[in-house]
Amino acid sequence: MKKLVPTIAGLTIAAGASITVMASSHREAPAIAEDQFVDNTDVYSFISPTNPDRLVIVADYVPLLLPQSGPNFYRFSDEARYEVHIDNDGDAKEDITYRWTFENHLKNDKTFLYNTGAVDSLDSPNLNVTQTYNLDRINENTGKKTRILSNAPVAPWNVGKRSFPNYETVALQAVKSASGVTSFAGPRDEPFFVDLHVFDLLGVGGAPTTDGVNVMSIVLEVPIADIAKGGIQPSSGDTSKSSVVGIYASALRPQIRILRRHHDEDDFGNMIQVSRLGWPLINEVIIPLGDKDKYNRSAPKDDVSNFGAYILDPEVPKLLNLVLGAGCPATPMGGRTDIVGLLSPNGTAAADLLRINITKGQTNAQSHFPNGRALADDVTDTLLTVACNNGGPIGDGVNANDKPFTTTMPYLASPASGNP
Amino acid sequence: MNRTLPLLLIVAAACGSSEDHRAPAPAPVKAAPAPLLHATQTDLAKDLDDAAARGTWSEVKRKWQGQVLRWDVTRQRMLCRTAESCNVAAFPILRPAKHGWMPQLMFAPGQFAALETACGTREQCDVTIEGTLARFEASASMPTNLQLADVHVVTKTARR
Repeated sequence: MKKLVPTIAGLTIAAGASITVMASSHREAPAIAEDQFVDNTDVYSFISPTNPDRLVIVADYVPLLLPQSGPNFYRFSDEARYEVHIDNDGDAKEDITYRWTFENHLKNDKTFLYNTGAVDSLDSPNLNVTQTYNLDRINENTGKKTRILSNAPVAPWNVGKRSFPNYETVALQAVKSASGVTSFAGPRDEPFFVDLHVFDLLGVGGAPTTDGVNVMSIVLEVPIADIAKGGIQPSSGDTSKSSVVGIYASALRPQIRILRRHHDEDDFGNMIQVSRLGWPLINEVIIPLGDKDKYNRSAPKDDVSNFGAYILDPEVPKLLNLVLGAGCPATPMGGRTDIVGLLSPNGTAAADLLRINITKGQTNAQSHFPNGRALADDVTDTLLTVACNNGGPIGDGVNANDKPFTTTMPYLASPASGNP
Repeated sequence: MNRTLPLLLIVAAACGSSEDHRAPAPAPVKAAPAPLLHATQTDLAKDLDDAAARGTWSEVKRKWQGQVLRWDVTRQRMLCRTAESCNVAAFPILRPAKHGWMPQLMFAPGQFAALETACGTREQCDVTIEGTLARFEASASMPTNLQLADVHVVTKTARR
């Protein structure tokens, strides 16, 4: 893999040229960077490695978390909604939504400790600070809401070896199933790998800067028939619009927050979308700074109307040429319709949705970006290569996560310990 | 705890969203906006840039909403496959995109077929269209979004 770093020496950046970060969607827009708990960082989807009739969806939030971040360790916001949306007929409008809403619990408010002794299970009386969640499935076409899980536990933070002598055993107790659906919510090792020195004038050289940090993960595994159009998994060889589903994740907050001098804040009003993500890096490197917050508030069905011109003529190849002399060819006469094509497989409407083939016979081995996204996919290299389109590979020099992924729920690696 | 303010806000919000069961008053007849002397997409983009700098979004919307516009646009087949799903590029592609919006076209009867005839088998072609700016969303917080209705193809033979 060609690294960017060898070609950067001696080159300067023209005044005013902006550098975009290749961190999928970590702190990618000004407003969401101030609201970390609802910052959607990555979405993954793949056919289950153990059952080809099931689809796995991972939505990560709250980026770049230090393991030793006590005493108030990271969690999901109990004022927000976390959602995964699925378009199953190719029109870029969600047909099914899965919604997680969280609640905080405190056993003893007379101590500052997250846990008051060693924790060997989720039911441990020593686990002082906990979260639970409800999981609902909403049929967006009928409005019908079905409760799948009530008061399901969130995996605790991996405080350290004294608090959790066997952390992963405890964390895996947070894998819960009902109605054929399996869900997990809690901290995991950050699966996205990248050299974040890209912030420094594209000065990447293979430094694994996301190793050792955690992220808050929501993992969902569902029967494919549950999310397919009409409730029937498409036949093998089907190439219709409904042979793929389009997925995006989002986070919503109440419209009104009132801060009080002598009391905790109050939140009111309708829920407003503050973050969303389908493909990695779209809002990061396609949408310019002035529109990034607007992108987070908008819906995929309007992506072409709102942002289509940015997709047809992306800034990335010009930056790669300007800064690195990468030799990316000029945008062709008709624009980057190759990228539009990747965003609209099988005749679906072009939109920032992570699309994956769900026809019978699809396997986990076929679930690689842009057909879904496996946890191990090096999307930074893939997208830089596609964006530049100079006939050769381009990458950041970081090609794998530091920890291996698993083949069972929740698939992501155990989070880094605060005191290993 | 003083909850008066939030309660008032909630009541206000509820009142704002509640249904009015009285018979709706007849909609006032809107006068067509005065035609613009400068009504190209470049003129609109300049107004939007000014609005972003000075906060004059309402003024820009009043000025442009309902205008009949004759614009040169680029049609990519991939983004304009059917009469029901058609967005066009308002600016030349090879110029670095300074605006993301691509107007959605709602065709007058028979006019999508006219577009197909004008463009032939080409994947992209430049055409002149005329239509009414029926939907125009522009604000400090949401993306610019345009829909031209009653679109007619003016140029019968595509230039490219």
